Amino acid sequence: MPTYEKILLKNMEMPGYTGLLADYERVGGYQALRKVLGKIAPADVTAMVTKSGLRGRGGAGFPTGVKWGFLPKDYTGPKYLCCNADESEPGTFKDRQLIERDPHQMLEGIAIACYAIGAETAYIYIRGEFSLGARILERALAEARAAGYVGTNVLRTGVNIDIWLHRGAGAYICGEETALLESLEGKRGLPRVKPPFPATHGLYSKPTVVNNVETLANLPYIVNRGPEWFASIGSPPKSTGTRVFCVSGHIKRPGNYEVPMGITFRELIFEHAGGMRSQKPLKAIIPGGASAAFFTPQHLDVKLDFESVAQAGSMLGSGGVTVMEEGTSMVWAALRLMEFFYHESCGKCSPCREGSSWLVQTLRRIINRRGRMEDLETLTDLCKNIAGRTVCAFGDAEIAPVLSTLQYWRDEYEELIRAAEPSGAAELVMPARH
Amino acid sequence: MATTTTETVRLTIDGVPVTVPKGTLVIEAARQMGVMIPHFCYHPKLKPDANCRMCLVEIERMPKLQTSCSTPVAEGMVVHTATTVVNEAHKSVLEFILANHPLDCPVCDQGGRCDLQDFSHEYTPTTSRFLEVKRVFPKEYFSALIETQMNRCVQCLRCVRYCDEVMDVKALAPSGRGTMTEIKHFTTHQLDCEFCGGCVQICPVGAITSRLDLYEFRPWMLKRADTVCTYCGDGCHITIQTKGNDLIEVNSAHGAGRNNGDLCARGFFGYHATTHPDRLQSPLLRRNGELVPATWEEALEFVAETCIALKLKHGPDAFAGLIASRCTNEDLYVFQKFMRLVIGTNRIDGSARYGHINGVRALRRVQGTHRWTVAFEDIVGAEVLLLVGTNITETNPITGLKVKEAVKKYNATLLTIEALVPAIGTISNIANLSAHHFSVHPERFGNVVLGLIKAVVEGGLVAQTLTQRAPAYVEAISQTLRAIPWETLESVTGATSQALMEAARAFVAARRAVVLVGQGVLRTPGGFGVATNLLDLLLLTGKHDRPGCGLAPLAEENNDQGAVEMGALAEFLPGPSDLDDRAARERLAGLWKEELPQRPGATLMQILGDARAGNVKALFVVGENPIGSLPRAAQAKEALERLELLVCQELFLTDTARLAHVVLPACSYAEKDGTFTNTEGHVQAVRHAIDPIGESRPDWEILSALSVLMGYPIEYGDAKEILKEIRNLIPGYGLLGPAPATPRSDEAVVERYLREGYAEDVGARYQLTGAGSFDMAQPATSSAESDRRDAGKVKDGLQLTLVVGQTLFHSGKLSTRAKGLMEVQNAGSLGLNPSDADRIGVTDGDRVRLVNQAGEMTTSVRRLDRVPEGMAVFPEHFDEEARRLLTVSVDPVTQVPYCKSAKVRIERL
Ligand SMILES: Cc1cc2nc3c(=O)[nH]c(=O)nc-3n(C[C@H](O)[C@H](O)[C@H](O)COP(=O)(O)O)c2cc1C
Ligand code: SF4
Ligand code: SF4
Ligand code: SF4
Ligand code: FES
Repeated sequence: MPTYEKILLKNMEMPGYTGLLADYERVGGYQALRKVLGKIAPADVTAMVTKSGLRGRGGAGFPTGVKWGFLPKDYTGPKYLCCNADESEPGTFKDRQLIERDPHQMLEGIAIACYAIGAETAYIYIRGEFSLGARILERALAEARAAGYVGTNVLRTGVNIDIWLHRGAGAYICGEETALLESLEGKRGLPRVKPPFPATHGLYSKPTVVNNVETLANLPYIVNRGPEWFASIGSPPKSTGTRVFCVSGHIKRPGNYEVPMGITFRELIFEHAGGMRSQKPLKAIIPGGASAAFFTPQHLDVKLDFESVAQAGSMLGSGGVTVMEEGTSMVWAALRLMEFFYHESCGKCSPCREGSSWLVQTLRRIINRRGRMEDLETLTDLCKNIAGRTVCAFGDAEIAPVLSTLQYWRDEYEELIRAAEPSGAAELVMPARH
Repeated sequence: MATTTTETVRLTIDGVPVTVPKGTLVIEAARQMGVMIPHFCYHPKLKPDANCRMCLVEIERMPKLQTSCSTPVAEGMVVHTATTVVNEAHKSVLEFILANHPLDCPVCDQGGRCDLQDFSHEYTPTTSRFLEVKRVFPKEYFSALIETQMNRCVQCLRCVRYCDEVMDVKALAPSGRGTMTEIKHFTTHQLDCEFCGGCVQICPVGAITSRLDLYEFRPWMLKRADTVCTYCGDGCHITIQTKGNDLIEVNSAHGAGRNNGDLCARGFFGYHATTHPDRLQSPLLRRNGELVPATWEEALEFVAETCIALKLKHGPDAFAGLIASRCTNEDLYVFQKFMRLVIGTNRIDGSARYGHINGVRALRRVQGTHRWTVAFEDIVGAEVLLLVGTNITETNPITGLKVKEAVKKYNATLLTIEALVPAIGTISNIANLSAHHFSVHPERFGNVVLGLIKAVVEGGLVAQTLTQRAPAYVEAISQTLRAIPWETLESVTGATSQALMEAARAFVAARRAVVLVGQGVLRTPGGFGVATNLLDLLLLTGKHDRPGCGLAPLAEENNDQGAVEMGALAEFLPGPSDLDDRAARERLAGLWKEELPQRPGATLMQILGDARAGNVKALFVVGENPIGSLPRAAQAKEALERLELLVCQELFLTDTARLAHVVLPACSYAEKDGTFTNTEGHVQAVRHAIDPIGESRPDWEILSALSVLMGYPIEYGDAKEILKEIRNLIPGYGLLGPAPATPRSDEAVVERYLREGYAEDVGARYQLTGAGSFDMAQPATSSAESDRRDAGKVKDGLQLTLVVGQTLFHSGKLSTRAKGLMEVQNAGSLGLNPSDADRIGVTDGDRVRLVNQAGEMTTSVRRLDRVPEGMAVFPEHFDEEARRLLTVSVDPVTQVPYCKSAKVRIERL
């Protein structure tokens, strides 16, 4: 099995590493912050990040330095950084580990980002269920504050960087960056219509950057080892650095694996994660979290980088790789995910709100042997009518499992429908005649 | 205000080139050229939320369909609103929206005027592919006035956004997630809000409807009449919808009237007052001491004969007349003409005397206008708004909305001087939006005004042009103010000199500044002086003649302003012109072909005094109710009981009408035509919606009939003919246009004021009021001292200032006959600050006794955070008992009877 140098999981995999400040400092923690504060101009830090090729690890993969560059230049009022630690995408659990095992790494990243964009305040929006993570972060924040890495006049450079932790209350949608901002403001977490984008009208309508935990955790290393070094990892030029892939499902060793982008699914699944858990062969892969379209065994040699996965018709998304073995019902898998999306649709826009309920009910019906052949066309139609017509990307996400399973495993749908009990189907037709 | 940009953008919509102002939304640009893009969540009053996705259009060079309700136009944009893709999108969004809709149109009050129905008709097939189970919300009781049917809700959030963005009430919120999202109000008890009806009006479907007329109609069966609300000076446009002679509902379309379609509870839910079963059906004549039904002939002949006899015996000045400002201009005009020509006396007065006259007299004195020099648009467009003595949400809710719009939408700076303190409550509180709020004792708002003026003159903020133009005037004011040390001012106002200075600076810095002065000043002692001082503030800061600047006294009654202009007041002839204005008298005499009476007029309190003394023998009362309005101390009853003839033209048998010799049933505004003039001086058409109730007749017609019987016929075919005569006489009644042409101040009058006019009372006006007595401006700050004081109080009750005033849910006594409003508020309760309530150990609903030298009353308590410590508020609409405690003082200049507050002791029962 090929081995690669780890970046983000390196510290925590050292024996005895606790994640406390002393440990983190011992392995060179906060040196990057010392290096930039007051010594490198903020704009140059941004340039460095742009040069590194770092792209967002939250899902959309937007180039981080470019995003920072969207903040208004000649503006002197308050700006904010929000660290998106809401990690709720099914099959995704990397941020959790980064938070729990090496909290200072991300705090240092946050501090560097604040300095680069000129924000004096950062909020970490952490998923409500991460109560252990929240406690660990609070403790780390206290340590960092006491040591002068966070607070007013950081490291006596005159720079102020305050970091606050805010716990969510159990809504997947609050991971969407504008819903996150609404929630931070104390409102109902509903996505905002864009434009305007957070870069100009973010938290409290002030210029704001939202970045994922993993994105930010990379920053100290880019500063310490240089953007060129970072840009040489993975599949440059478009997918640089490593990613922490969360591998789960019917495999031998589920878990987080940090590897350079660009290795194949085959390598990740069969070498790093130990292969399938039983004799049954691999049937399906969700390549990038619940919002990504399913892959089949034919896709095993697709490279795990943004472009390759997109080209193959899905997305690298949040890095959650879920593997399913032969024998798994794909209709059931689609239904399971649809149940999630139905539960989590915030309800703001009609196509997603109504579409998710319609889709889930139809899938339930098919699974329960009450489907009709026309349903398949309706399912496709509904998905098409949701795509691109919603306020946030949730709409595009929720249709991926349905469309891709219909694309690759239509026969399973048809089989279930053929097995439908005629009386049941007939019964159901009746109330539909409005 | 939105910086009115002249920049325009050219774009193409459906192949047609259009030019619209920059910033216009695509949906609006399309509307302007007659293309209706279907929409649910978009509403021009609200910030775009783009949640329904109904308004999708194709914009060239954009990859996806765009929501036209949230996309501003751009130069060269090419928009398609009806391509196959767009039509398919509309169809599909509707299919989604209809999926969970119950399709219960046959039993929905919105049926026939529902956006969902209309768009479905246009875009969707007649069958649905949706075969699944519809989600059903269990029916929940929402409110006595408002019904929700959440199964019909399309989740556009217009209601929620309206209640927040426009009303600033925030009573509604979506609850639940996804398809289970429901619109709810907070807490478990029924809805408690301003009941403006805005959510009912703005809901595009039948999810929120009025319960007052639930299931009583199908919209297309209703007859509509566009008219004007009668409950306050704002003069909102309303559409009264009727079935037969029944009032079914009231609403106001977006964009209509000065209110732009917004209403308050009184306008939206208060319409049943006029058809209350207690309405007088026929004339009543006193026979053997009792009022009994009579025919119009009997009644009118009795009045005519008695008048002729009394006039012969005692002369015309033994007569007097009082008329309510609820009457139309036509009624008011004919009334004063009747009194002046048929009776031959100037002794007439009306409800503007209760306070509005103070503002009018100050305007006339200083700048020679009787109207505002600003309009509602100027309030919305102001950079600074100064509100003095007005709980504007409750007295003039729609003017209040203009203030909210200025502050919330266009970031105006709000300065407020009011007794009420900022606090979150179930209804909105304008003080919450204030940048500088000065909370002072309700009778001492003027002290803060002095503080602001002192800050202006001592902070070097006086306009240079004025110092050059009127050095003596500036010096006189500066000098009197120098005599008041800042420490004294601070201690009587509770405001720091720094805060006053900051507020003054903000005021001066604004290019457009509007001062709104309300009943809290105009109806309290010194009201005339404070109003004059506010004009001094505008003069000193060089703003009085600047466009968009001015003083705006808020009229409480719907036609206070009309009463002034019709000359239905002691000091005015129509115009208004002063009673002794030679030229005006000659003009009138020429038009009327009759000489005007020479002797002076008499104000309300003089008339009552003269009646008590036996000098007034006969009194005409049109819609006015002195016994029900004045405190017992005014001895109105004693006065009226001595009359030989009391004629009341009324809707109901009021306290005053009960004493009458003749009661003549009059039409309400819903049954007659005419005009009202609103607080900003806008003349608007009143149109009848139903036939007269019983045998009632319009007030002018009754007076006209009497004039014939008395041998001096004043006859008109209809209200229009009267308006024609008014037009010849009074400027501003020519066109009933969309916005009033505001008058400019008369520089000759200003010059006279600056030279000498100010001098007669400058010393008196620039004195602190109430200095030294207990002060509620700093509630319980110095705790040691106040604790001691409080400890003493609790034993034998607490000393408080009782203020009797207008509430949001009523208007005078009339609205207490409206069943809708009675659902919200059907009795008076005493609003007390929670700390004061704790001091005497009472909570909501507990009973208390209020006592002073004049009398006592008992009532229940309601704890209200916005009432400051040391004050207690009570609604005037239920003030039967409270009036026993109030005292009266009369303004020496304007003869306004001040009778809205009293010192009382409160104790728990
Ligand atoms: C429905 C939805 C849920 C999302 N949830 C998360 C999340 O849990 N964590 C996250 O980092 N990004 C999430 N995102 C992506 C964020 O909106 C945003 O793009 C990201 O936080 C930006 O950070 P990055 O540029 O560092 O990736 C979500 C997006 C959508 C549409
Ligand atoms: S797409 Fe779904 S989750 Fe996103 S705003 Fe619309 S309803 Fe909410
Ligand atoms: S009626 Fe009440 S809930 Fe509805 S908009 Fe008005 S204040 Fe809000
Ligand atoms: S109740 Fe009416 S206005 Fe409110 S969200 Fe539902 S449909 Fe929209
Ligand atoms: S009207 Fe544009 S999205 Fe609702």
